[in-house]
Amino acid sequence: MIGKRNTPSRMSIKSKIKFKTLSLFLNLILIIYSASCIFPLVWLFYSSLKVKRVFNADIMGLPKNPTFSNYIKILTNKDYHIYESVFNSFRTTILSVIIIVIFGFIIGYILARIKFVGNRILYIIFLMGMLIPIHSLLVPIYVVFNKTGLGNHWYTLIIPYVAFGFPIAIFLVEGYIKAIPISLEEAAAIDGSSFSRTMFLIMFPICKPILTTIAIIQTFSCWNEFSFALVLIKNQRLQTVPLAMTQFTGQFSSDYPKIMAAMFITMLPIVLFYFVFSKQIIKGMVSGAVKG
Amino acid sequence: MLSTIRPKRKVIFAYLLIPVALYVFAVFIPLITAGYYSFFEWKGGPNKTFIGFENYVTLLKDSIFWQSFSHNIYLVIACILGQIGLAFIIVLMINSRLVKFKGIHRTFGFFPSTVAAVSIGFIWTMVYDYNRGIINWFLELIGKGDLAKVWLNEPSLVMLLISIPLIWQWIGYYMVIILSAISTVDQEIFESAEIDGANSIQRALYIVIPLIKNTLLVCVTLCVAGNMKAFDHIYVMTKGGPGNSSLVMALYGYKVSFAQQNMGYGSAISIGIFIASFAVIGGVKLLVNVLSKDKGDDK
Repeated sequence: MIGKRNTPSRMSIKSKIKFKTLSLFLNLILIIYSASCIFPLVWLFYSSLKVKRVFNADIMGLPKNPTFSNYIKILTNKDYHIYESVFNSFRTTILSVIIIVIFGFIIGYILARIKFVGNRILYIIFLMGMLIPIHSLLVPIYVVFNKTGLGNHWYTLIIPYVAFGFPIAIFLVEGYIKAIPISLEEAAAIDGSSFSRTMFLIMFPICKPILTTIAIIQTFSCWNEFSFALVLIKNQRLQTVPLAMTQFTGQFSSDYPKIMAAMFITMLPIVLFYFVFSKQIIKGMVSGAVKG
Repeated sequence: MLSTIRPKRKVIFAYLLIPVALYVFAVFIPLITAGYYSFFEWKGGPNKTFIGFENYVTLLKDSIFWQSFSHNIYLVIACILGQIGLAFIIVLMINSRLVKFKGIHRTFGFFPSTVAAVSIGFIWTMVYDYNRGIINWFLELIGKGDLAKVWLNEPSLVMLLISIPLIWQWIGYYMVIILSAISTVDQEIFESAEIDGANSIQRALYIVIPLIKNTLLVCVTLCVAGNMKAFDHIYVMTKGGPGNSSLVMALYGYKVSFAQQNMGYGSAISIGIFIASFAVIGGVKLLVNVLSKDKGDDK
């Protein structure tokens, strides 16, 4: 009888323990995982505050006498072209994203709404861009840009970035506009709004959510792009951030803290961008990926 | 289609001209050019000799090209299992009521996927470094210092070692995609699984996987396309070495064209990469389409 009375409470203690262990286990694993994702950035930062000798003696420890000497060296030495690289990346990324968003919107809108011969063909040609393995164009694009003299200019990288940004942008805009009832534009037309006016002043604001998604996806892909920059840019003053990073490892050879300082500087803009807008960025990247 | 506002043909033409020209110039002209040069022996200089299909014959017999191709396939398979598999397990954990800081896990987990592959490559080069690497530091710490190696110099390990950063980088990305799909699934499945223990976690697996099958298939497509173009982080970590043991197709094409200045053969390799990737990605897409139609709309 006593045993019977005890059963429920014993069960609940047992399941409580089971619950606690499970909860501890799950949380611990996930915390380790999350920590592993952010740790490299943290490690990069505090190691960059050490001098080479200190870092080589103890790679994981926190710096006892933190110093900004690595940063000062990198930022004051003109041979590293760090300001130019960051500036180039900003210019290339911002211009590419703006062009992709504006032209992606125009083409997507026209393809969704205007009937003309070749409409579907054009749509398929743009969609094919999503299927073409971009990396197979690495060598050919170098040949073409070299022949036409388009290589090694400040605008060089914008051309492929825009071209390879188009397919997904057009696909997303076209789909988005097709879901919007046409009556709005008809009303605008009756009121005497011209085609361009309707497109830019009425439809453009309506498409803002999808255009934001496109802008987010393209910002990251342009900022991080490396292979085209590698083959198309030979002038150090024109290099973008990822290219500059490969230069640093060569130049600084085994001075790891210095490399880390350089990496931290060049990563900072995009890292800040991510952590400030992480919610919108995650949402945008995922919805873009799934629809594409 | 809109009939009330019919812009003039000229207007449409004007809007489309520049972007279409730019697109054709950057995507199709290079492809055609590559096709053209692939029939020549051309070392990048002014002289080139027409040699017909000889480059393609060489390519078919080129064991390094096929080795690179097999490395791409290795990465694809490792990443489908690693990225999507681990992401799925983490999603099952994160969905538990017992887990705290879900938002933080999501933000931090997604973070690596937004970092340039070049940076990821550097960070992991430092992890694998002989004198100052984290792995050897850790081995030293637990008293197994004799196991320390120049990790990236081990031909038999190098493919595994370069897959790990790639897997780690993208887990969070797929985690978020799967999480958003699963949020539409009835949460009771997870709760009952928790109460009953491991057995029902297995049951949840059998229930959940079919429910989010279409999303998983989308992930597989993304994963295949992403890994066929692996280049950046391998360029940084090993440049394809030691020997050719971590060479991938894009890197091989790059090396032949730029290091050996063999532009003619490099063009043929580019066309080879185009066909091989197109076949793999297209094949997977077709398969995925068949599989997702299989049971109709389970989204």
